[in-house]
Amino acid sequence: MEGLFFNVNGGFVEGIVRGYRNSLLTGQNYSNLTQCETIDDVKLQLGPAYGDFLASLPPNPSTSALAGKMTDKLVSEFRYLVAQSVGSTAKFLEYLTYGYMIDNIALLITGTLHERDTRELLERCHPLGWFETLPVLCVATNIEELYNSVLIETPLAPYFKGSLSHHDLDELNIEIVRNTLYKNYLEDFYNFVQTHPDFSGPTQEIMSEILQFEADRRAINITLNSFGTELSKQERRKLYPEFGNLYPEGSLMLSRAEDVEGVALAVSAVSDYKSFFDAVGLSQGGGGLGGMGGGPADGKSLEDLFYQKEMEMSKFVFTRQFTPAVVYAWMKLKEQEIRNVTWISECIAQNQKERIGNFISVF
Amino acid sequence: MSGAVGREPVFPTRQSLGLMKSKLKGAETGHSLLKRKSEALTKRFREITRRIDEAKRKMGRVMQIAAFSLAEVSYAVGGDIGYQVQESAKQARFRVRAKQENVSGVFLPQFESYTQEGVNDFALTGLGKGGQQIQRCRETYARAVETLVELASLQTAFLILDEVIKVVNRRVNAIEHVIIPRTENTIKYINSELDELDREEFYRLKKVSGKKQRDNAAADAEILAARKKAEAEEAAGAVAAAEPEAAPEAADVLGEQEDNDVIF
Amino acid sequence: MYPRYLYGVLTTTFVVVGLYMLFQGEGEAFNVGRFLEEVSPYAWANIGIGLCIGCSTIGASWGIFLTGSSIVGGGVRAPRIRTKNLISIIFCEVVAIYGVIIAIIFSSKLSPVPESQLYTQNNYYTGYALFWGGITVGFCNLICGISVGINGSGAALADAADPSLFVRILVIEIFSSVLGLFGLIIGLLVGGKALDMGAA
Repeated sequence: MEGLFFNVNGGFVEGIVRGYRNSLLTGQNYSNLTQCETIDDVKLQLGPAYGDFLASLPPNPSTSALAGKMTDKLVSEFRYLVAQSVGSTAKFLEYLTYGYMIDNIALLITGTLHERDTRELLERCHPLGWFETLPVLCVATNIEELYNSVLIETPLAPYFKGSLSHHDLDELNIEIVRNTLYKNYLEDFYNFVQTHPDFSGPTQEIMSEILQFEADRRAINITLNSFGTELSKQERRKLYPEFGNLYPEGSLMLSRAEDVEGVALAVSAVSDYKSFFDAVGLSQGGGGLGGMGGGPADGKSLEDLFYQKEMEMSKFVFTRQFTPAVVYAWMKLKEQEIRNVTWISECIAQNQKERIGNFISVF
Repeated sequence: MSGAVGREPVFPTRQSLGLMKSKLKGAETGHSLLKRKSEALTKRFREITRRIDEAKRKMGRVMQIAAFSLAEVSYAVGGDIGYQVQESAKQARFRVRAKQENVSGVFLPQFESYTQEGVNDFALTGLGKGGQQIQRCRETYARAVETLVELASLQTAFLILDEVIKVVNRRVNAIEHVIIPRTENTIKYINSELDELDREEFYRLKKVSGKKQRDNAAADAEILAARKKAEAEEAAGAVAAAEPEAAPEAADVLGEQEDNDVIF
Repeated sequence: MYPRYLYGVLTTTFVVVGLYMLFQGEGEAFNVGRFLEEVSPYAWANIGIGLCIGCSTIGASWGIFLTGSSIVGGGVRAPRIRTKNLISIIFCEVVAIYGVIIAIIFSSKLSPVPESQLYTQNNYYTGYALFWGGITVGFCNLICGISVGINGSGAALADAADPSLFVRILVIEIFSSVLGLFGLIIGLLVGGKALDMGAA
């Protein structure tokens, strides 16, 4: 049924996104990039795909400047999509920006907590997470003011409400705040695509799958990264999104896990994750966190495998039509592309060619 | 050489000769001591230079690895974490302690690094993604900073030693090429002056003694003549009248009559 | 939620009114046979013609906007698709033309007759034939238009991604555009047997 009505509002946006997707770098482009000797060569190779955006860069730019320009392109393309979208697609795109908003707000909260001039921080904010009331956040000088008068006005207010008070902002580590927000955001997003009548059909199927994966990945990462920190198990559990393939049994087991083996056991119910853990050799005891340290034999870490999986999923999203999920997939692919190019140019700049192939390309 | 050095402005006396001799001796002792110190320092200096070379090479490697691990982090996190890390760091985990080492009387500062376990202000950074890379990167950078601290300690020692060695060498050279020759010159000068004096004195004494002999001879001749006269008078029979007059003549040197000027 | 309440209210109203009339002895008002007999064959024929052209046009326009928005969107990054994919639009347009053809053929069967000769067997047949023939063609074309539209939208996007896919998808698109032709043929057959009104 989605085929009957989707194109009324979303056909143009979808067509554009598919056009964008076609301009993503392919394996051929990547292999050309890896042959480059200098950043200038990289810039030249990226020329067809990025065009004007790289033109303003000075000769031999830094990798961060390069990545910045690439992000600028992503942002301008995304803004164009937002401008063209209406109705539920527009709402969907808005949801996509919330993740970046969380990062920006976390940044500003950090700044306010340390009594920095938050205006300077505005420049550091991710442009995708920009919303109208963001500069207003700078007005607040202390955290209580920030919470009571300003955060309430932001689109993220529902995520603060009920789970974080202004005392929490003051006392909790900013990472916990950020992850709580992100958890609320993921749950809200999941709920949105599950219940919105416009999204029944492919959008719901795709986005459920992707968001479940995202939720699981966050839960696993939070668990793995919290080992050896002061994050208690109860607090940790609060950060797990309450959906996903692992929820509820896997999440419960994750919250009880004390080491990598525990995590491997918790995720063993889902074959995908189990195979990841097997691949990096974490489930066979003894590997421990060392497996993460040196990196396994094939040079892939767990994160890499997760990224790989995410990219595969995003790639398959393009086999479906009549869904705004392609925008989500395109953004993920684009971000990965920026990361890849940054990685490659970093390898070139630092003359570490032996690991240059450690990027993820799915096309 | 010695001509250029000159000599110290002293009176060529025996006292100053003694002084100069002791000074020369002191200078020679000092010279050998300083020479040995300089050698010890130079040895140390060479060792430090070698270690700096090693440390610099090591630093090159370590910093490269560290920079690369930062690239890994930015790959995994997909964003800039700099500000966040910067803000969440409250306590230093990696600390440096300074202590002093005594090398032949030179105090060299030495920096010693140690990590304060349990301080981990940004352990939660990248909780959602990339946390492990961040921790790994932090460890790599800790190692890099360790190398940096070692290098810093060596460099400081290098600079101080360099300065000290320069000073010591300058002193050694000054003693060797200025003070000792000058003192020697002075001694030579004093000696020559003293010899001169001796010779003059000797000549004077000779002259005086010659004059004395002449005077004596004259006096003797007078006495002889007087005696002859007296003998003649005695012989003539006026012995008693002539005798008292002879005594005042002999005591005349300290008498009221002026001495004849002695002209050299 | 709102339409569901509306359905409930409507059903209840009908049931209550129906039962009221039934129990008041006015159940004869529900006389389907009389209703069919009394409705003029002109009405049937014209409704049929209207539905035929109307549904065909709706189908065609639906298909065109489905395809068109995708072509426009895909054409932003791959301008080469715009000319080739006009063929999808043409397929959609053809659907409306089918409707127009049938509507013209059907309408030629209508001519005014005196009221006394109206309720004849032939006229009844013509009226029903045009009505159902029109509905057949109309809905066939509606579905065909949507089907071609969705296919065309896919074709445009696939062409933008990979030019070699265009011909393959076009084949499928032809199959769906044939659906409208089926409706046209059946409409012609059904209407062909009907004599002109008042001819007898």
